[in-house]
Amino acid sequence: MNCTRSLGILTGRVFWLNKIMKGENRMGKNNGKLGVEELVSKYPDISRFIILKLDVQKRGIELTENAQEAVQDSKYRFRPRSAAYSGDDGSKKANPGPLLLRDGTTVLSGAGLKYEDPYRVHHVDGKFFLFDKGKKIEEVDFTPRPDYYGKKTSRGVPMESIASARPQRLDISPYRYCHFWDTGDQCKYCAFFTDMEEQRQLADKNFPKVIDPEDIYETVREALKEPGRISQINLTAGADYSGDPPFENEVNRYIKVLQAIGRNFKSRRFPSQLIAPAYTKRQIKRIYDETGLSSYCPDIEVWDEKLFKWICPGKEKWLGRDHWIKSALDAVEIFGKGNVYTNFVAGAETAKPYGFKTIDEALKSNFEACEFFSKHGVVFLSLVWRPWKSSKFAGQKQPPLEYYVRLVKGLHEIRKAHGLTSDNDDYKHCGNHGDSDLERID
Amino acid sequence: MSKLSKEVVDLIKDCASIKIVTTTDENGNPHAAFKGCLTVLEDGNLAFAETLEGSQNNINLVRSLWFDKNVQLTVRGKDGKTFQIKGKPYKYSYTGPLYKKFYLAARKKRGQDSEISGVWVIVPEEVRDETYEARKKIEDELHPFFRHFDRESVLVK
Repeated sequence: MNCTRSLGILTGRVFWLNKIMKGENRMGKNNGKLGVEELVSKYPDISRFIILKLDVQKRGIELTENAQEAVQDSKYRFRPRSAAYSGDDGSKKANPGPLLLRDGTTVLSGAGLKYEDPYRVHHVDGKFFLFDKGKKIEEVDFTPRPDYYGKKTSRGVPMESIASARPQRLDISPYRYCHFWDTGDQCKYCAFFTDMEEQRQLADKNFPKVIDPEDIYETVREALKEPGRISQINLTAGADYSGDPPFENEVNRYIKVLQAIGRNFKSRRFPSQLIAPAYTKRQIKRIYDETGLSSYCPDIEVWDEKLFKWICPGKEKWLGRDHWIKSALDAVEIFGKGNVYTNFVAGAETAKPYGFKTIDEALKSNFEACEFFSKHGVVFLSLVWRPWKSSKFAGQKQPPLEYYVRLVKGLHEIRKAHGLTSDNDDYKHCGNHGDSDLERID
Repeated sequence: MSKLSKEVVDLIKDCASIKIVTTTDENGNPHAAFKGCLTVLEDGNLAFAETLEGSQNNINLVRSLWFDKNVQLTVRGKDGKTFQIKGKPYKYSYTGPLYKKFYLAARKKRGQDSEISGVWVIVPEEVRDETYEARKKIEDELHPFFRHFDRESVLVK
């Protein structure tokens, strides 16, 4: 389908863009450098917790020595980065799980990684606190270690190497390699399946590409025994375009994995999401018919046509942007309105040298995308771009915090006007999206 | 130091007491909900389980925490002793030990297909004795002209 033409006939587009773009002039005055508290005053209808979350996502966190010691407690110990795919034998220092703010907001803060200007987490009198430039900002906590960590499948595979836990979600990557990297066509912001230092995919005996569906079945079964812990399962993996048509082998793999997971449930469908490439309608229908998957998410990553081709060359090469959009729209016919999602890497569209020169241009493009997808029943969500060292965009500058505040506010308003919610990607399950967090008071 | 006296704490911990949480929506419309599980934590803060993520009560509590608004808790014992506690939502937990404790308690009470959405922690800021006798005494002192003359304490027989 021709997406540009479709955009032109959107009803209500002008109204929403005008309404949301009102912050345009104010941004210029302050040179876009406002901090959390200034933005809380400037946008009184946006929760301070959400603005803080966006800034923490943008800047990352660093644990002080006493906080690092405190997260070695069995209540918090997730896993050492070096043992991320081979299990935690308890001998190395572990990182904590996702950060939790007082209101329950999840922040995927990436503790243990290196950042230029991170928030610091201190441990004081048995509690964790977020500090910024020496000033105490907020009491925080970390996601507790799930009960299944430390256990092994019947084949001896550490369960935490099969599935990682967010506060209420299991994340499983059945195929841990992205073949777009083989030809240098990986998305330019991507650091998936790298060691976060070098621009290469990990692939050695300690990092098997393919996970046995039976190991996944057993891990899920064990994880679900913990009372009140898990209420959703998320699958994503590296792109594998092998097969005819392209991605057929990947589709077959996901079907096997989802069928294995499905054996744990009494109901036909179970709350789950597959973040995957844009499949053909036939492939999507097969996944829907042959498994209990409840939500499908082909990420568009970047909306602007030219920037999509530049930033996501692998996606453009194998399927192309129009197919990516068509796939999301086709999926709505199968999964239903509000059960198809597409994420974009907010800020990557401003990367140099070809990205948008102003954040107003970037916001306009993203709001157009949100309006387009919302009109077709697809939930369009943002996540904060971080220029990882192992990505091609390493060293680039992120947009200012105010861009993210205006972005989440605008996206939330557009989706709300279309009656869309994002329960699959809310604050409890995902934690990546400030815009879906805002739905909590709708 | 907790704002709650031993009398208030005991009343809250008494299973026979009636406990109500009152919140307001963005337009100021009040919403009251029974919270039989309301309890007092070791640090003096109050806690109760929220059963449904999408309930009006939960939405109002999130708004109160986000925008620094008060909520009110009312506790009334079987003998009529009543207290109103004004406080601020401080924390919402849906994972961890406190959450698990309330989750398992809900399971025990309502069966294996029940659950809770999360646990709210409220910091008490002000406690008021709303028992009839206590309020009557204060009212008589503050507004003697509001008393009817046929009352036993007013009229000479």
